[in-house]
Formats: sequence, C-alpha cells, structure tokens
Amino acid sequence: MALPLSYNWRNLFVRKTTTLLTCLVIATVVGVFTWLVGFAGALNRSLSYANDAHKLIVLKQGATSETNSAILPEDYNKLSQVQDVAVNPKTGEPLRSPEMIVQVSLPRRRDNGTTFANVAVRGVTDAAFGVHRNVKLLGKGFSSGSMEVIVGEQAAKQFGGVQIGDTINLGYSGNRGYKVVGYFSANGGPMETEIWGPLTTLMNSYNRNMYSSVNVLLNDKADPDKVAKFVQGPSVDLNAQTEPAYWYDQSKNIRIYLGIVGGLVSIMCVAAIFAIANTMYATVAGRTREFAMLRTIGFSKNQILLSVVIEAVFLALLGGAMGCIACEAWLVLAGNTKDMFGATTFTTMAFEIKLTPYMVVGALLLVAGVAVLGALPPAVRASRVHVIDALREP
Amino acid sequence: MSAADIVATSVRKVYHKDRIEIPVLDGLSLKIDAGEFVVLMGPSGSGKSTLLHLIGGLDSPTSGSIRVGEYNLERMTERELTAWRSRHVGFIFQMYHLVPVLTAAQNVELPLLLFKMSSAERRERVATALKVVGLADRTDHRPNQLSGGQEQRVAIARAIVTDPDVILADEPTGDLDAKTSEEILALLNLLNSEFNKTILMVTHDPRAASHGQRVVHLEKGVLEREERNPARPAMAAS
Repeated sequence: MALPLSYNWRNLFVRKTTTLLTCLVIATVVGVFTWLVGFAGALNRSLSYANDAHKLIVLKQGATSETNSAILPEDYNKLSQVQDVAVNPKTGEPLRSPEMIVQVSLPRRRDNGTTFANVAVRGVTDAAFGVHRNVKLLGKGFSSGSMEVIVGEQAAKQFGGVQIGDTINLGYSGNRGYKVVGYFSANGGPMETEIWGPLTTLMNSYNRNMYSSVNVLLNDKADPDKVAKFVQGPSVDLNAQTEPAYWYDQSKNIRIYLGIVGGLVSIMCVAAIFAIANTMYATVAGRTREFAMLRTIGFSKNQILLSVVIEAVFLALLGGAMGCIACEAWLVLAGNTKDMFGATTFTTMAFEIKLTPYMVVGALLLVAGVAVLGALPPAVRASRVHVIDALREP
Repeated sequence: MSAADIVATSVRKVYHKDRIEIPVLDGLSLKIDAGEFVVLMGPSGSGKSTLLHLIGGLDSPTSGSIRVGEYNLERMTERELTAWRSRHVGFIFQMYHLVPVLTAAQNVELPLLLFKMSSAERRERVATALKVVGLADRTDHRPNQLSGGQEQRVAIARAIVTDPDVILADEPTGDLDAKTSEEILALLNLLNSEFNKTILMVTHDPRAASHGQRVVHLEKGVLEREERNPARPAMAAS
C-alpha cells in the first residue's frame, strides 16, 4: 500500500504561501483553458446549427460574404433554371429566398451600452422561413410590407433596444422606425444574432434595388456540389456555397483567435509545469530526512516517487478547482455570451459559453497531467535521496 | 514475539572522498545473540553508526559478511533489503524523524501500510504499540503537540508495531534530558526483557550504556573491548 493520501494532502498546507501561489498559477491556466474550451464549444455548437448541406447560399461572383454581394433582379431570375430545388408543400413554390442584409450598430447589454456591435438586419420574404429550416418564430412574426421586425434570441439577449415593443431606427438615413414585434430562434445558429424584417420595406428604406444573397433549399435527392457548380457556370454565373462551407469561411477569424489563445494556454501550461516543479523541488529539499526515514522503515523508491507525484496532483487539482470556480464566476458575473466579427461580414456572431461537467473534468485532467510532468524530476530526486546522509542531517 | 541473532564477520567498510580511501570498519567481527541487548560505544568516527547501518541493511559492507537471523545481507539486492527491513528491523533515531503532518497513531501506522492487513487490524496493532510505550491517550496528537520524550516514544512504537526481530537504536536518548532518557531506556529494557527483542543501541552516554547486557567498544573501526553488565545478565533466546 502506498503512503496515506492524508499525508500528501496535509503536506500541501505546510508551506501555505508557496501552495497558494502555485495554485494561483494553475487556477489561471485552468480558468483560461475552460473559457477557451467553452468558447470553442460554443462556436462549434453555433456552426453545427448552420450546417444544412442542402441549402445553397448564392452570392455575386467574387463576393466573399452577403455584405459585399449584390445580386440584380435579372440575375435572381436566372436561378429559375436551377434544378432540384425543394418546393413549399403548401404553395408549390420553389424554396428560393432573396435576401438583403445591412448592418445596424447596437449597444451591448453586458457593459450597459458602453460599446456597440454591428448586428445584421436581414430583409426576407415568407420563403425564408421555408429555406432556413432551423428558424422558428417565437410568437408573432412581422407582417409583409409593415415597418416591423423580429429579433433573434441571442441578439435580444446581448443587445439593447431590440426587445419587444422597442423601435429600431433603420434605413439609409437611419430615420425609419421599425417596431420589434417578436423573437425567433435558429437553434443557436449564427442567424440567432440577426434582426429580420420584410424584404420590400427594408429595401425601400435603404434605397436598394439589389439583393445581397439568395438562399436556395435543394431537395433531398439533389447533389449540392453539382448544383453549386451549375450556378457558378456560364448560364447563371453566380457564386454558390453550401451553408456549412459558407459559415466555415465566415468563422475563420474566430478560429484564428482561438488558435492564438490556445497557443497562449500551451505556453501557460509549460509555465505551470515549471511552477509545480519549483514548488515540489522546494518541498522535497525540505523533507529529505522524512524521505530517508520512509526508505529506512521499508518504503520503496517507487512508493516515494508516487507519493510526491500524488502530492503535486493534489496541488494541481486544488488550483484546477479554483480555476473552474473562477471561470464559472466570471461567466456568471461578466455574462456568458461572447460576440465576434465574422471573417468578411463585419457583422457580429454571438455565442453562449457554458461550463459543462465534461469541460471541468477535461481541465482537471489537463492540470493533473501538467502536475505529473512537473513533479517527476523532484519526485525522482526524492526517491533517490541518500538515506544515511539524509538521516545524519542536522 | 520473535528475535534474531546477528553475526558480523570480518566486516570492512571503506568510504571514498576525493579519491582517498577512508576505512571506517576494518575487519570487524561481532556476534549478538537473539534477544540480547548490546550497546555500541566509542569515540566519533569509530564506526558505531556505520556498523548499525550495515546491520540494518541501509548500506553494504565493502567486504565481509553480515547475517541477521537467516538472512545474509551482503547477498541481497537493494529492493530485497528494503522489503526485509520493513519486516524484520525496527529503527529508532536520535531525532525521532516523525512525520509532522501525521498524528501519533498515523506515524505509528506507517510501517504497517507495507503489509497486507485490514485497517481494523492496523488500528489494533497501533493501539497496542502506543499502549506499550504509554501513549494510549495521545493517539490524535501531532508531533508538535508532544514533548521530546513523547515523540521518541511514538518513534519507538513505530519501530515495534511490525513486531520486528531486531531493534536498532542510534543515540535514542541523545536529544533528551536525563529523566526522560531514563524513561526511554526503561522502555527499551522492557522491549528486550518482556518482548525478547534483540536490541543494538549506539550511544555516547555511559549511563545509557549501563542498560545493556553487553557493551562493545569500537576504536578506529575495530572492536577494542567488550564488557558484560553483571546487573543485566543475558537471557536465553526463545
């Protein structure tokens, strides 16, 4: 049997200051790590809800996003040549949704309106609700031709002035008041950060006569890549991407950001390894007689080594628990939503970050691994202590 | 209750420092009967502690042989010696070497963790050992809550809790006042006379030496002379 765990646990509190400082280093690593994983998870969750592979997003040739795309009505008409388009079972109309997108600057609620974010306002027709299958009205929708809008759940949570009953100033001169009449969900997908209104009214308000994009829902038998190729061909000559491909490109900036933060976490992990090694070296140096006594009464080198490693793991788990609590506290106090720009749209994608039990377990396993790496060199030293010399130490 | 005899034959131990040979034991031979209480005396550097460490399997002789009971120590690997120590030898140190974060009972329990034993049996053994040393009411005290004498008693309880054949004590009263020293020595006498333990004790203190049945004087790594204590005749080994 190994040394009792109470021995390792209590030894942590012999050097309280060192233990606390090491715990703080580990807590920082875990706090950032869990936040990062939460953010990445939220992003993936959000994008996974915008992964309708049978939906094509059609833009002007050369455009990289809806915001810099302009499709003339005659180009839109060419899309009638596209085969394999799904039809609305009620009306028999092909599910093609011409849409216009503009931006409006809205105050962030999390900092009481100190900062603003660009939020997409999408003009749509009734066809949009058939094409975007994950969009669900929560209550009342807007009426065609009215000055009414509905707001995505995430947008309503994150931004001010877009709650039911509020009026948003839209239009070319920002002087057209649109009343918020309802909310919609998009299963947590990127559209949940948008505001939707009637296409024709919004186009008039913005003096537009071109669409930003056309969203086309294909039937189940269609080969989306083949249809996209046809759209890009000479007869239609527009750019087409499936929805997953489109949003993968749009989230490029966020993935770069996550990569940078991930790199920082890796560097912090290395720092934590050194912090643990330093702490455990100091611990071992102060307890050579104790280890010599344990060797004398019959504990093996491996048992001593394991004991030091377990002590370091306890230290790391203590710090890890502090980090998880700090992360959860941060999410509760500072808000668990985060928004970032899309790669080319300059409109905001918002996410809800959640600290799940899996993330906590993952973070604790990470720091336990860090602890083992950091503790091994001092643990080897402890196990190889020269028994007779150590027993003679004053 | 068990005891083992100790036979050291032509033991030589040489240390090396800066390529210079420093002989500490120079062909020493010594026989200790099972159940005997022998005291090792001699000036500093005479090789007392080195002999104690060799008999305890903490170090190996440069040449010669050491047998404790049925075990020839010079033929055993480091791993075998470690396992042997845990079962057959109890160590008592001058500085007690208790683990400060553990209670008296937990300190005494440490050697038992190396045995396959139920926690109930461990608790029973710990309680018995602490009762033998007179600390049954101090089980939950940490070392810093005990006096020096009490700490040494806990260390003795730790040494005897596995019921070893041999107890090796290195200056066990060196850090204690005269009264407490007498109590500790009386306890060692009890372990020898009542529990029939073979005891080898290193000391500088002639009063402490008077508790042994035989006093062996070392000088420059060889056995200079030995004296039997008429007040404490040797008992027959069981």
